[in-house]
Parts: sequence; C-alpha cells; structure tokens
Amino acid sequence: MPRDTSTGRVTAMTRMGFTLLLREPGPIVSRLVMPVILMSLLAPLYRAAADRGTERAVAGQAVMFSLLAMFLVGQGIMSERTWRTWDRLRCSPTSPAEMLAAKAVPPLGFLVAQQAVVLGVGAALLGLRVHHLGLLLATEAAWVVMLLAVGMALATLVRSPAELVAAQDVGGLVLTGLGGALVPLALLPHAAQRIAPVSPGYWGLNGLLAALDGDGPAVARSVVVLGAIALAAWAVAVWRVRRGWSRRDLM
Amino acid sequence: MLEVNGLVKRYGDVVALAGLDLQVGSGEVVGLVGHNGAGKTTAVEVVLGLVRPDEGSVRVGGVDALVEPRKARALTGVAAQDLQLYVTATVRQNLALCAGLAGLGRHAADEALEEVGLAEVADRRVTVLSGGQRRRVQAACALLGRPPLLLLDEPTVGADPQTRSALLAAIRRRADEGAAVLYTTHYLPELVELGATIAAVRAGRVVARGSQSELLAGLPARVVVELDEPGRTHDEPPAGLVGQPAERDGDAWVIRTRDPGGTLAGLVRAGSLPRRVDVQRASLDDLYESLEAEVRHAA
Repeated sequence: MPRDTSTGRVTAMTRMGFTLLLREPGPIVSRLVMPVILMSLLAPLYRAAADRGTERAVAGQAVMFSLLAMFLVGQGIMSERTWRTWDRLRCSPTSPAEMLAAKAVPPLGFLVAQQAVVLGVGAALLGLRVHHLGLLLATEAAWVVMLLAVGMALATLVRSPAELVAAQDVGGLVLTGLGGALVPLALLPHAAQRIAPVSPGYWGLNGLLAALDGDGPAVARSVVVLGAIALAAWAVAVWRVRRGWSRRDLM
Repeated sequence: MLEVNGLVKRYGDVVALAGLDLQVGSGEVVGLVGHNGAGKTTAVEVVLGLVRPDEGSVRVGGVDALVEPRKARALTGVAAQDLQLYVTATVRQNLALCAGLAGLGRHAADEALEEVGLAEVADRRVTVLSGGQRRRVQAACALLGRPPLLLLDEPTVGADPQTRSALLAAIRRRADEGAAVLYTTHYLPELVELGATIAAVRAGRVVARGSQSELLAGLPARVVVELDEPGRTHDEPPAGLVGQPAERDGDAWVIRTRDPGGTLAGLVRAGSLPRRVDVQRASLDDLYESLEAEVRHAA
C-alpha cells in the first residue's frame, strides 16, 4: 500500500542525505576534533586575558565550529542543484518546505553531536560549569536552527559553488569574528564592538554565555533574535525553491 | 490524461511557447519532435510545474496542474533530459529514494531494477556506471509505481542500442497497460518502434500531428544514383534527369522525387545505366524542412 505522506517523503530524502554525508566523513571528523583541541589550548590564554576565560573559550569554539552545519547544509543543496537532483525532487509531490527540512536533518544530527562533545569535554576537562541546562539547550536550539536556515538561504540564492564558498567565507567571518567567537569582544576595536550586535554570532555567543550563567532574560533576548533571523532565512529559502531555477540562470 | 491548452511562456524577448496545445490519452504514446529550441523541454517543464507559464492551462488526469501541481506530479513519472542522479550513492539507494517520494516500498524499487535490467549493478555507485546504465536508472525512477502519465524527455540520449531497445520495450509495456506517454526525441525510428502519434513542434507550438505515415505522406523521397557515364562531363545531368531537381554529390546524383520508380525508369529509357541506386524515404528532417518552408511561404 503506498505511503504517500509528508513523513514518508522526508524520511526517504533524509536517508539519502545521511548516505551522502557519510560518503565524505573527513570534514565531520575534523570539526569534531579541532574544537576540542583548540579550546584546550586557548582556555589558559582566555583565562589570562578576560573574565570568564573558560566559558569564553568553550562557547567561542562551540560557536565557531558549529558553522560547519551551515557549510554542510549549503553544500548539500548546492550538490543537489549541480547534479540536477533538486529538479527531480521538485518533479515529485514533495513541497519546498519538505525538501529543505530533509536537507537540514543530517547536518542537524551532526551538530547536536558536535555541540554535546564540545560542551561535555569543556565541563569534564576544563571545569566549565553549566548553571541551567534548560537555558543552554534553548540557546543551542535557536543557534543551530538559525545556522541551518541561513545556510539554506545562501545555497538557494547563489548561482554557483564558487559563489557559495565566497558567501560562506564572508558569512563565517561575520558570524565568528564580529560576534566575538574568535577573540573576546572586549579585546576587539571599539568600532567592532559597537557593530557586533548586527552579527548573529554575537547573539549566539551571548546567549550561550548567559545560559551558562543561568541568566534567563538575556537568553530569551538571544533566542528571540536568533529565531527571527532563522524565520526570515527560512522564508527566503522556501520562496527561492518554490520559484525554481530556469536552465539559463543556474550556473 | 494530459490536456495542455494555449501554453505561452516568454523569457524576456524570447518566446519559448507560443500557444502550445497538446492532448495525450490513456494508452497513447505521443512523440514530441522538433528542432533544438523548438519548445519541447519547456513544455515538459511547464507540465511538471517547474516553470510557470504566462498563459494557458494544464490538466493531468483531471487535476489542474497549475493550481494543484503536487497532486498532478503524484500522477506523473518523469525522466528528464539531464541525468538527475545521486552519483555517489548506489543504484539501489537512488531507486529507494524515488520509491519513497512516490510513497512506495522497496519492493517497487527492486521491481523497477529488474524491469530495466539493472539488478546486477544495484549495489554499485552511479559514478562507476556507463552512460547507458545511468539512463536506465533514470528511466527506472520514472517507471516506478506505474504512474498513469509518463513524461520522458529524450530518455535515450547517449544510450547504446541494447539500452535503447530495453527502454523502449518497457515504455511500450506501460502504454499497453494504459499509461499516457509524452515522449520527446530527435529519433523518428524510436517513435515508430513505440507506435507513437507524432506531434511536431516549431517555434513553441504544435504545427502538425498524426501518425508517421500521415505526416510523411506526400513528402518527396531522396533517390541517389551512380551511373556508368563513360565520356560524359560530370556537371551535366544525364538525359534521363533533365528537368528534374537533380544535384551532384561526388560521383552520385541526388534527386528529390515523389515517384522514385518513374525517375529510375526514365533514366533507363534514356540509356543511362545505374551502377548503384539508393532510395531513401522521407525522414523527420524532411518533415522539418517542409514545415519550415510552409511557414516561410505563409509569411
């Protein structure tokens, strides 16, 4: 009996997504190992340079390497466009929202594992203390969803893989550098500190630090901002997929 | 099963479809033929809802495809001109995805693999398959679940004769089971093998429709003759061809005529002895040329 449901279609596409992701495990492994090594090396420096050095080192690396999710979902969509399999999906009864949701699930799975490893190692080896696990999970959820939505929007708007790489490089710099994940915000030039709130990374990092401290109102502000960015990016991606690409304007 | 009326699609100043009408009934194979850029693929893309037309209507099995595209797509199996395969995944994984999208189980994927003769390579990655095998995977996705409408856009491009024959047989079987098939191609023999009705597209509209014999009837054949002509200059046509549209092609003469037998008899009567004779029936190219000439004449 045919199981022509949204769940069935998303499951089929998600299964393929995991298959494709695991064919190229190199980036995943490196982004699991690198943040752990880097935060171990940086924690003493951060402790010497700023208040709450351990928290900044762990949260900073968690934010910086979580950008991989944005790259994974973006490259996944770009591969589909290059292989023309995106058109195959569009020729099926699948909706744009189902297609995008299915593309997001494998990177989401990886990201949950990565963040758990980074925060777990931070707590176990570097003395990171989490005052409110619920707030931490809420911030992580908002941050991850925002990353995936922005990654999807970028991948649907650009015209070629090269454009995607450029967009992701610039986006990565805005998210991490300007957000204070690479260098504590207090050490950045004054002008950079003033415009930092335009970076989603600023809200992600502040949200994480607030969650570690158990500061509910600060977490709520970050979650609302990140959620709004995610919603806008998701709407752009759905609109772009629904509109489609003609043969002449795709790469 | 498929009713397309008055489709118009413009890309800026370029008119891709200019009022295209087309109907395909259940159990019927309609071959959409035309030069590159005639509008065949755009027409298929509009039917699939991938491209929004500026004007016109599309109904699939009674469903308005422009209002409810997902419902219409659920009734349609598609093999696009471009290969649309996950090259790093296996054949079986590709088919499993197609089955999942159509709400079918893995048994349907296995059945399709058997039908197109890919069971032996089911666990190989697409990237190591030959071009013909990739075409079969693509076709298998379209055939999955026996959809009532098949849209096949040049599905045999680059395929070897064996693959082509296997695909055509599978498509014919589906039509015999009641599926409506819209098939675009440049190869008239494929449409003959499928027993298809031919719809000729030019400049974004269907300009002729009928069986091969109906469309090609009355078009002149091409007669190629090599003559034993000792002592005669090559530029002058022999006596038997004077007054006929004859052209020199190397050592041969090429004559376009609706009466090949009469032409050859005239040559012999005039004393010219053919060393080699080749009579070529009118082809799809001749049909195109004829249609172009009609349009030029009308203009």
